[in-house]
Amino acid sequence: MTAAPRTLAIDEAKVDLRTRMGKLALPHPVLAASGCFAYGQQFADFMDLRSLAGLSTKGISPLPRFGNPLPRICETASGMLNSIGLENVGAEAFLAEKLPFLRELGISVWVNFFGEDFATYVECARLLEAGRGNGIDVLEMNISCPNIKKGGIEFGTVPEVAHRLTRACVEVTDLPIVVKLTPNVADVVAMADAVAQAGAAGVSLINTITGMAIDVRTRRPRIATMYGGLSGPAIKPVALRMIHQVSTALPELPICGMGGIMTGEDALELIMAGACCLQVGTANFARPDAALAVRDELRTRMAQLGIATVEEVVGCIRPLPPEAARTEPT
Amino acid sequence: MPSQFTAHVDANRSLGGGYVVLEIVPDDGALGEVVAGQFVMLRGEWGRELLNPRAFSVLWSQPDGRFAVLLKAYGKGTTRLVETKAGDRITVTGPLGRGFHAPQKGVTQLLVAGGVGLPPLHLHARQAAAAGNAGALELFYGGRDRDDLVLTGDFVAWGLKMSLATEDGSVGVRGFVTAPLEQRLIAARSAGDKVEILSCGPTPMLAAVRKLGLAHDITTWLCLEEEMACGFGVCLGCAVPMHGARPYQYCCSDGPVFEGSKVRWP
Repeated sequence: MTAAPRTLAIDEAKVDLRTRMGKLALPHPVLAASGCFAYGQQFADFMDLRSLAGLSTKGISPLPRFGNPLPRICETASGMLNSIGLENVGAEAFLAEKLPFLRELGISVWVNFFGEDFATYVECARLLEAGRGNGIDVLEMNISCPNIKKGGIEFGTVPEVAHRLTRACVEVTDLPIVVKLTPNVADVVAMADAVAQAGAAGVSLINTITGMAIDVRTRRPRIATMYGGLSGPAIKPVALRMIHQVSTALPELPICGMGGIMTGEDALELIMAGACCLQVGTANFARPDAALAVRDELRTRMAQLGIATVEEVVGCIRPLPPEAARTEPT
Repeated sequence: MPSQFTAHVDANRSLGGGYVVLEIVPDDGALGEVVAGQFVMLRGEWGRELLNPRAFSVLWSQPDGRFAVLLKAYGKGTTRLVETKAGDRITVTGPLGRGFHAPQKGVTQLLVAGGVGLPPLHLHARQAAAAGNAGALELFYGGRDRDDLVLTGDFVAWGLKMSLATEDGSVGVRGFVTAPLEQRLIAARSAGDKVEILSCGPTPMLAAVRKLGLAHDITTWLCLEEEMACGFGVCLGCAVPMHGARPYQYCCSDGPVFEGSKVRWP
């Protein structure tokens, strides 16, 4: 016997995609992710950038960086490894040459930034403060990139260090700082808590997972730096788990979720795990308008499931019932 | 200006030797004008297993939007594309990158091709022939064996001078294509001919062609290939080491055609 399907669906026009990331109001949850969207311009040939909720720029450091030796990328099963090396134009050139284009878009501009040591992190936040009221809405502090060498790993993995670094950066800018955390830690909640206590306006979860790929013909690694950051659908389950852990333990802390989003259904999963907004990253490479496709699919999927607002499903998931209850109707 | 559009495979023609020409028809949109050396990113309906599109030089492109690429199975993506059939859906982004420049008066262009590096030079020759400039071009084409040299009849039809080389000697001279190229460079020097080199093929071949160009002080344009995820200057994966202020440039957006002397190779 088949139960009659529940008639949940609502009209897509009735779906309200608006969301908030702390104090930041967004027309829908989907932004383009740092490192996968450069400074936006290249995408203007392919899409209406103003339809994005926002974008996070390529990570900016105080001085320009030229990046790592090649090969820098390789594709892996349902994912890709990269070791680009945080190549960027530097804060000064970003403000002068890249920000004016972004400012005109009228969308939420998140500037991802990093330093090579404690002092240059703070210096970068101070430099980017000049963009407040002038195009920059959020500073997304990257304490998690696997691709810088100089002791950078501590910023993302030792809660006390992350706390001190976040506090020092929060003190030099009035821009909200969202801290992008690494999944390469044993206790992501401790990291999120440490940066929240230091004044972070939220966290971005997750950055890439450190990985490796080998060419068995040459017995060499497939990227020059041996290890790189794994992104794409392969990492989505890890993103879901970490977003859920943080949102459950720290329900007041806004989370921007990312990690392998390719479809509207993926987006909805991350939202249900606890993300209030999202970034689409690796998918932009295959399809420049991927973030907008995700937004449209999210609306469709929500309508099919009778979900009228994003807000009602942020962090909505419940544990499965005990085994004995599995035969009962849900 | 590049665009992204959906298309389908109209024909999959085997040329032997593992080479396949995929003829692609856009469902909406079109490539527009293509400069020889420009490329497209192609992705089949691969779901989530293979993420990134794959880059291919355009072999030919028609005003109605139909175009073709030449390929050979190498990894998972190219294998899937080689196996496509008429009607299969393909997502296309392009045309991308900067191609070769047209022949200039008084300068003979020596086209040096190997393997799947043929298409940009084939298209260049097609366009030059259409402009009545085939006489300004000569082809040097190398491969492992007879089956490794494809579409040679087109160059004959366009009236290009051709020097073929195969490693097994089954066609043309035995050995690498750089041998007849070097003879030509020596002849050009003694005759006072102005020549330049346009080359595309396996990286070791390009490295050897670049060295010959440097040794003979001949301007050499290399159409390079690097692993790339996006094809339009965002992922920064396809770095090419360069001399000058910027230690790296990008195969997809600064190239794929680079002047050999500026490439920072040994």
